[in-house]
Amino acid sequence: MDEILRVENLSIAFGHNRVLNDLSFEVFENEVLGIIGPNGAGKTVLLNVLTGILKPDSGRIVYKGKDIAKTKIALRTRMGIGRTFQVPRSFEGMSVYENIMVGGVYGRLLSEKEAGAGADEILEHIGMAGRRGEIAGALGLLDRKRLEIGVALASKPDLLLIDEAAGGLTESEIANILEIVRGAKQKGVTVIWIEHVLQTMLEGTDRTLCIAEGRNVICGPPRMVMDSPEVHAVYLGTEEDE
Amino acid sequence: MGAVFSKIKDNLKEGIRENSENSLARKIAHGKNAKFIWIAVMAVLLTVPAYAGDYAINVMILMLFYMALGQMWNLLGGYAGLVSLGQQSFIGIGGYALAIVSEKYGLPAPLAFAVAAGVSVLFALVISIPIFKMQGVYFTIGTWIVSECLALWFSTWAWVHYAQGYNITVTYNLSAKQIYYVAFAVGIGSLAVVYFILRSKLGLALMAMRDNSAAAEVRGVELYRTKLKCFVISACVTGVAGAAIYLQQAFIQPSNAFGISWTVSMVFIVVIGGLGTVEGPIIGAVIYVLIRQFLYNFPGFSMVILGIIAIAIILLAPRGIMGLVQKWVSIDIFSVRRR
Repeated sequence: MDEILRVENLSIAFGHNRVLNDLSFEVFENEVLGIIGPNGAGKTVLLNVLTGILKPDSGRIVYKGKDIAKTKIALRTRMGIGRTFQVPRSFEGMSVYENIMVGGVYGRLLSEKEAGAGADEILEHIGMAGRRGEIAGALGLLDRKRLEIGVALASKPDLLLIDEAAGGLTESEIANILEIVRGAKQKGVTVIWIEHVLQTMLEGTDRTLCIAEGRNVICGPPRMVMDSPEVHAVYLGTEEDE
Repeated sequence: MGAVFSKIKDNLKEGIRENSENSLARKIAHGKNAKFIWIAVMAVLLTVPAYAGDYAINVMILMLFYMALGQMWNLLGGYAGLVSLGQQSFIGIGGYALAIVSEKYGLPAPLAFAVAAGVSVLFALVISIPIFKMQGVYFTIGTWIVSECLALWFSTWAWVHYAQGYNITVTYNLSAKQIYYVAFAVGIGSLAVVYFILRSKLGLALMAMRDNSAAAEVRGVELYRTKLKCFVISACVTGVAGAAIYLQQAFIQPSNAFGISWTVSMVFIVVIGGLGTVEGPIIGAVIYVLIRQFLYNFPGFSMVILGIIAIAIILLAPRGIMGLVQKWVSIDIFSVRRR
């Protein structure tokens, strides 16, 4: 498998607090890579660095063979990096359809006509067909999360970054999100998925990466990572002498 | 208690949802009636001089001018997230373009509008280089300082008669009716500019930025470019409006032309009317001009009343009168929605 993204020795600090610490890992084409880690491990900061919201102090982000560490936010989206936020950031005054349009028109530089033509397929994909006219600000949490993924998908990403889509949802709602992510993978999208809900990691990802204190702790098949002593140590602490 | 509250909230959401699907207003605005309604409104506005007295015409002129100014400030403050306190720079540039073209060089006044537009665009482009390096409140203060500098510069510049300014004598030959049509063109023109911008690709980005500019950038909107476009368009139309306003006022001086009170009224108009809506500046301009006229003989008092209204609206209806209305009925008179 070819790699689509390679993160090399990425570091970023806020004052004395080193949030990412020589973090390295790679993502292969069309896989779903799950990222877990305790609070403050640097997961969301990592996504912010990958999308360009934060600038790393050092390290390289090689996307499709190019170092994009200095590329502007909007341009990274147009290069095919889509993203969802932990707290959905939909355009609240705009309709579901218009939200999706923004993704297509600006994330992929489509004409409004082209973006509009593709909107139905995306609404179908995220399970919101027939609801295009609803105002995003009036949607419930699940719908906002689905719409968030839909807007990201509208820019036809090659790499989709998902920040805690399952947080705050019920089990059946999580199943819904899992279905949407599977659908994206089937369409050839590569996914990086940050999540606290372990069920989604086990069911929805091909590999799982655990980070703690901004370092790569362990990476591999989900089951193996979950059962590893390293992950247990990270979450529960190491046992003192018996 | 909590359950009741959340029930009410749900109902409200349901209401918004239903409204957005099939509101009466939307049916009217998008039904076959729409065209006729607009033709009727235009017909009324175009024939105002035929039956209205000079006083009413002058009030209408003010409303149209302030609506234009409000629309342009709204484009910046309501959509692009650029809170400017320096729009008076362009009013002054527009006004002085008229004074210089018609008084200093004795050229036909219509030429002044082209000069006003051109110089405003140029000035906006040049000034954007330092001003756009400032963010948020620094941008706001920066724009104001630019205007103050212009006022100072013009006051000490021989070529524009120092602080004495100009009498604009072309006005003496114009009737209120003629000026009304100029105001009509400026007012409706500004409305059309905003409407077509919002219907265009640029408008999609602007609405996204209005709702959440950080998210818009992640979705691929280039904030800098989009803001610059708005800044330049707004400068251009405000400059033209400035020339038209001084065509009516017949006298221009730097302290007045570059005074911050212009932008203060724009902010007032947009805030009470409804930030980030096309209808807001129309409502705001009508209210602003009416209050000012009713309290014309109590100039200090009118400022107090305007201030109280502004504070009340900010506290009770942060999205202005239009936002309040939209909460209950989904009215989009100028619908820029894609469907």
